[in-house]
Amino acid sequence: MTEGWRRLDARMLLVHPLETLVRFLPALLAIVVFRAGSDDSDRWELYAVPVLVAFGVLRWVTTRYRIADGQIELRRGLFTKQTTTARLDKVRTIDLTAQLHHRALGLAKVEISTAGGQHDRLVLDSLSVDAGRRLRAELLHRVDPAVTGLPSPTGTPVAVDVVPVDAPPPVGDELLVRLDPSWIRYAPLTVTGLASAAAIVGFASQGLSRFSQERSVFRDGASWVARLSWWVDVLLLLGVVSLLAVGAYVLTFWGFRLTRNRLGTLHTRRGLLTNRETSIDAARVRGIRLDEPLGLRLAGARRLKVVTSGLLREQGGSDWLCPPAPAGVVTPLALRIRPDEAAVSGPLRSHGPAARRRRLTRALVPAGAVAAALVAARLLWDWHGSLLVLVPLLLVGAVALGRDRYRALGHTVTPDHLVSRHGSLDRQRVVLDRDGIIGWKVEQSFFQRRVGVATLVATTAAGAQHYDVVDVPLEQAYAVLAQVSPDLLADFA
Amino acid sequence: MEPADVPVDPSPVLREPAHRVSRRAVLMWTLQAVVVLAVLLAGQVAWWFVDDAPSRTPHWVVGAVWLVAGGAYAVAMPQWRYRVHRWEATPRAIYTQSGWLWQERRIAPLSRVQTVDLERGPVAQLLGLASVTITTASAAGPVTIHGLDLPVARELVDALTAAAVTEAGDAT
Repeated sequence: MTEGWRRLDARMLLVHPLETLVRFLPALLAIVVFRAGSDDSDRWELYAVPVLVAFGVLRWVTTRYRIADGQIELRRGLFTKQTTTARLDKVRTIDLTAQLHHRALGLAKVEISTAGGQHDRLVLDSLSVDAGRRLRAELLHRVDPAVTGLPSPTGTPVAVDVVPVDAPPPVGDELLVRLDPSWIRYAPLTVTGLASAAAIVGFASQGLSRFSQERSVFRDGASWVARLSWWVDVLLLLGVVSLLAVGAYVLTFWGFRLTRNRLGTLHTRRGLLTNRETSIDAARVRGIRLDEPLGLRLAGARRLKVVTSGLLREQGGSDWLCPPAPAGVVTPLALRIRPDEAAVSGPLRSHGPAARRRRLTRALVPAGAVAAALVAARLLWDWHGSLLVLVPLLLVGAVALGRDRYRALGHTVTPDHLVSRHGSLDRQRVVLDRDGIIGWKVEQSFFQRRVGVATLVATTAAGAQHYDVVDVPLEQAYAVLAQVSPDLLADFA
Repeated sequence: MEPADVPVDPSPVLREPAHRVSRRAVLMWTLQAVVVLAVLLAGQVAWWFVDDAPSRTPHWVVGAVWLVAGGAYAVAMPQWRYRVHRWEATPRAIYTQSGWLWQERRIAPLSRVQTVDLERGPVAQLLGLASVTITTASAAGPVTIHGLDLPVARELVDALTAAAVTEAGDAT
């Protein structure tokens, strides 16, 4: 083997069998239950153990990686040798994930994302936490004179950034935000929180249904719930959902910490059981996104995400710079990352009456259709009259939603940023770096052309790949274009 | 409410791109529409033979509806498209206009171009046409010009490739 190849940590030999064990736990349980009722003493399932161990050893023996000639190379496989390479200057983000069993063994899974996204992801499962951090430092700090001055990182890895797990951030790193446990109160107010609550319920009910002998518990429980009056049900539901959302929040964001090193690399660390560390190269950050979903907005809170390339799969909040927190915390934080007052919190240009009419139409048409269906159901099939109460509620709600969506619409251009805001239930304000914009689209549907508005789309290599200024009057769209890319417009004006 | 730095120029207007696509593109789009109609017709015929119900009225109604809608589509869409589709390439940027009901204009600076593709579907080959796709580092930003004359398309690809080579950096 040539110089500089490094192996995974030998302790990964335990990780793989453990993960397989967990994955096949239901099958194993079934076997155990089945065995309990028979006299067969042949433990044939044990034959799987040496196979699993052999696979693990094979993976350990055949997997190597090295950093050489400005590339990171990952080589895998015995029969089909697979070599993945990525240029170091294309490395965007590095994730260190340590699930419970990783943590018990002092290991971490290292995921290296490059510009191309999903299929250009290099996964090293697993390195010791120290080796992972060292690798991260080598990859991200390659332009740091402190590192480039040292011998090239092909031989014995240079010891930079060796940090014990619970140490405070290294000197010189700037602590931008740390989770305040009181922010957990915002967990039930977000769709993310509710979705994770739903996921937990689904998972739990699936798991429980395997134990058929406990069905009577469900039946008793169900009949008990059915006897309660409806508002108790609603309260119970709210309580359970809130608890689950809080649980998911704690699991994901416990110990959240955002730091920035002297090169500007953003670094988050979070998680109660599974530890996840994400490092985002500052040179790849193209902006920030302030999220204010309705629930958070009413509670005076918001959250902050980063717009960067290399995080195509927005994996469980890797792009979060701040979990839901009071606006008084998030806005100053946003200003420290993008010090542009007008872009982060300044007033926006509103989009005018045509945009307002379109927001109202779009909210009212579906609500009107549902209302009409309810009335028709009452007249034709004699549905219960109390459902008609919903009709005015629907219409009033739709008007409120449309008005709120219009209030959200806005954009502005500052010397460094293009800012766009939209949405009511999921309002977001995107602050996009002007030099991160790599193309424009001006889209007009048939109806948009009739009222003279357009959707201006700024395409970028980062985040959602495109950010839209919705229903802006056509001449304003061109004004934005002219201001951000004057040379382009000069060619075609 | 107006930010101070909005330009004074009251109405900058983007003119249309300079060039139309090939006149034969109309034929290409018509043929493509006809292919869609043929698939629908096959479905209709299959339904005719599979259906056991004595009444054939639903068949005539459904058939008449899609025949009228599809016929209008096959006649109007290609003409409409031809009137909209335009393109222009300068040493700095590529600029296109496309669509019919939904229309869009796209601008991509050549400095951010990653790949230039020339594609020829079966119908396009038959008519001596080609489409050129220009991708940037953004997954949302490919610019496609359909229905170019093959020599024009080849020339465009050469020009774009040359321009892309001289520039550095794709802003990823």
